[in-house]
Amino acid sequence: MGALVRFFGWATLGLIAAWLIFIYIPNLLGRIQPNIPPGFVRVENGWVYALGGLLVTVGFILAYAWLVTSIGNKRTGRKRSLWPLFGQGLTHLFLLLVLLFAYYPVLQILAASFDPRNTLYRILPPASDNLLVQARVVPDFSQLSWENYLQLFDGIIIYPYQTLMLLLAAGCLLLALVLAAYRQIIGDNSSNSGWGWLQGRSLAAFAILGFLLVVFISPSQFTGQGTESRFVLWVRNTLFVSGITGILAVLLTATAGYAFARFNFPGRYPMLLVFIFVQMFPGFLGLIATYVLISNLGLLNTFTGLVLAYSGGIISFGTWVYKGFLESISKSLEEAALIDGASKWQVFTKILMPLSAPIFVFIFLLQFVGTYSEFIVANLFLTGVDSWTVGMGLRNFTTGQFSTRWGLFAAASVLGSLPILLIFYGFQRYFVSGYTAGSVKE
Amino acid sequence: MYRSPPGARGFLIAIGLLGGALIAATLLGLLMFWALQAAFPRPIDQAYPGYLVLVFATLLLIPILVMLGRRVPYLTDWYYLLPAITFLLAFTVFPIILTVYYAFTDYSGIRNGKPDRSTETQVVRSEGRNLFVDGDAHDLLRCDQPDCAGQALEITTLTQRARVRVEQATGGILTLTAPPPFTPELIYKINEFRFIGFRNFIEIFSRASTILIPVLIWNIVFAVGAVLVGAIPGLILGLILNNKNLALRGFYRTALIISWAIPVVISVQIFTAMLNVQFGPINRLLGLLGAYPIPWLTDPEWFKVSALLISLWLGFPYWMTATLGALSTIPDDVYEAAKIDGASGWQTLTYITLPLLRQPFIPLVLGSFAFNFNNFGLIYLMGPQPGVEGRPSTAQAADILITWAYKTAFQADGGQAYGLGGAISILIFFLTVAISLINFRFTGALKEVR
Repeated sequence: MGALVRFFGWATLGLIAAWLIFIYIPNLLGRIQPNIPPGFVRVENGWVYALGGLLVTVGFILAYAWLVTSIGNKRTGRKRSLWPLFGQGLTHLFLLLVLLFAYYPVLQILAASFDPRNTLYRILPPASDNLLVQARVVPDFSQLSWENYLQLFDGIIIYPYQTLMLLLAAGCLLLALVLAAYRQIIGDNSSNSGWGWLQGRSLAAFAILGFLLVVFISPSQFTGQGTESRFVLWVRNTLFVSGITGILAVLLTATAGYAFARFNFPGRYPMLLVFIFVQMFPGFLGLIATYVLISNLGLLNTFTGLVLAYSGGIISFGTWVYKGFLESISKSLEEAALIDGASKWQVFTKILMPLSAPIFVFIFLLQFVGTYSEFIVANLFLTGVDSWTVGMGLRNFTTGQFSTRWGLFAAASVLGSLPILLIFYGFQRYFVSGYTAGSVKE
Repeated sequence: MYRSPPGARGFLIAIGLLGGALIAATLLGLLMFWALQAAFPRPIDQAYPGYLVLVFATLLLIPILVMLGRRVPYLTDWYYLLPAITFLLAFTVFPIILTVYYAFTDYSGIRNGKPDRSTETQVVRSEGRNLFVDGDAHDLLRCDQPDCAGQALEITTLTQRARVRVEQATGGILTLTAPPPFTPELIYKINEFRFIGFRNFIEIFSRASTILIPVLIWNIVFAVGAVLVGAIPGLILGLILNNKNLALRGFYRTALIISWAIPVVISVQIFTAMLNVQFGPINRLLGLLGAYPIPWLTDPEWFKVSALLISLWLGFPYWMTATLGALSTIPDDVYEAAKIDGASGWQTLTYITLPLLRQPFIPLVLGSFAFNFNNFGLIYLMGPQPGVEGRPSTAQAADILITWAYKTAFQADGGQAYGLGGAISILIFFLTVAISLINFRFTGALKEVR
């Protein structure tokens, strides 16, 4: 029986593979028109050269490995094989190619952001003898300028107190980074040490200052002509909405997760099931109804309305994660406190909340990052350039007059991804552990 | 200490009391809102904002809860759940119920249950149930019926508004079913939506062979494909980077998660520019290798390939990280034992590493499948799709169920057919539940909850 099932499995797989190779791929290739648009550089049989180059590189690695091992063997008198070193070299070559694949879009967008001309939709090739530059595979660096970025900051008025706050915030962030690096060097891992305390405080100060700055920026400070001069305002809107949504997510899920993890009230299991299954309804397809609801509440085109519309999204998942986290903490401390006459609320606020900081950070960041990249709900609820979010603004660059705004789109993409990029790399530990703890639980 | 009545009785009492408190607070809030409107009328174009109902309800809810908590102490356990439950009810459950209801109506961009401002008509005089207008009532209001029978209207004055129904109209005289509550100045036609039973579902299934079935098949192919193109390269990279002798291992690990760290809304748009037929850097690179320009985004089949290519770029860092995480839990002595027994590297991989990875990978694969099954952001942000003959503009080559539903409900060329979109949403809901049930069965997540 098992063998039969296995046979049919492999047979189906084989059929699919055969269909792919003999029918689908030829069909796909047949859909390519063999004509060359103006300005397009095509090298007949170019892949042969590329493969040849790759083989030459492999040959070099082999020669290098042979040289290094034979010199080493001669010096020490041992007989070591050259293949492990060769394998390492090949691995690095492979990883470099993967890096190229991963960073090719990033490189192109970075280059485009510094190019004031519209490189994407230009037919004339750049004047260069290098084939790669001519084909625009390697960006043309002959005309670097900050023009695209300057357009995004055109006509912004910054008040002196905001400059001061910005400088202070930057200082706090720098201090935290320096401390983190210093502690890495001296190998200080405990969060109780003086340096660790200072690092935490400076990060918190940065967060508070950043939040205040975001709150105090107003649309009247943006006096530029084009829509693109509102870019900083869009970033501010997005950070504001994401921040509030993230805080709301923590507030809503914390007490619920505590109740599910620690209380044994009748109806706990059915309630958990409700929490899980409600989440399966494709979230934004309730959007029509959410729109009607928010519209009846008179909150259309307000950030409050948007935050409320987002708030339902993470409750189930966040509650689930926090419940899992609390269940991994021993109950003994709480039981002692309960015997000493503490109430459940006191146990929660005095004992569990301080312990839960990492998981709160995870829930906050998850909702923050998710909201930051969100586009559909924001697009439906917000109207008017002054209340757009980053995603909406970028979408406007690409759908409106795309051909003329490629450089601007690139610059805005680079700046717009920076906050999330920084958060992601800064809190990588939280993300990785949070994701895997949530899903790879046995 | 207090104790709750055990079993279903305790559960029902708690739910009843909490639900009762919520409903009572909301109703009282609504009453207060109406009382405010009646007591201090404001012009209807600057009416009191609707969220005041929420404010009033919250203000009323707190004393009600405190009182209930004194009487029924065990209810306080539930108070910890109350914020989450309230928000879930208001912004998730309520919209779901409303969507299900809309799925059985012909709610659309035109029939949205709102007054049509372009039919504004002055009321010259009103007399009991009769309203007199200047001109032919049927033409002015553009009624559906020739004598306007059953037509819903909105009547307004400067500070008041109400809905009434027409019994019949003859010339310039509108006879209402009941006398209006106040003397109206202006009237508008209301574009009502109607209950149409299963007609939306019948429409979906009657054209299933051209829309539903191809879309569903591509949806499944896409979800499976996206998992495969993400998981296999991610697995290979994870296995390579797990080698402790590899130099620069940490660097590669950190550098390669870049595509995970860029917001999807940005990276997908970058890719649509990169995949441009004539000007895109990807075709230019392939051109150097001897390829003719590939119609990535202009050919229906290549569009699907592009979707999978972008999934590959977006997905592999997650799988790489997951593989590394799972590998770090395999103890070293397993490998040492294999080495002593004389296993080759390949044997170690196929007989030890891969079988040990299977257990942690099952939930990840199923979760990723469920995510990609409804991966709206990727498909939608890739922009306009090449047309396929015989299919509506809302369900083109690479549209999955969820983008089809969204475009049906929200795009002008789909007629903003919210009702139909809601019906598709219900189908998606059942499919998602089915996938998740399989997921739970394999991972045993529900057993763990108990």
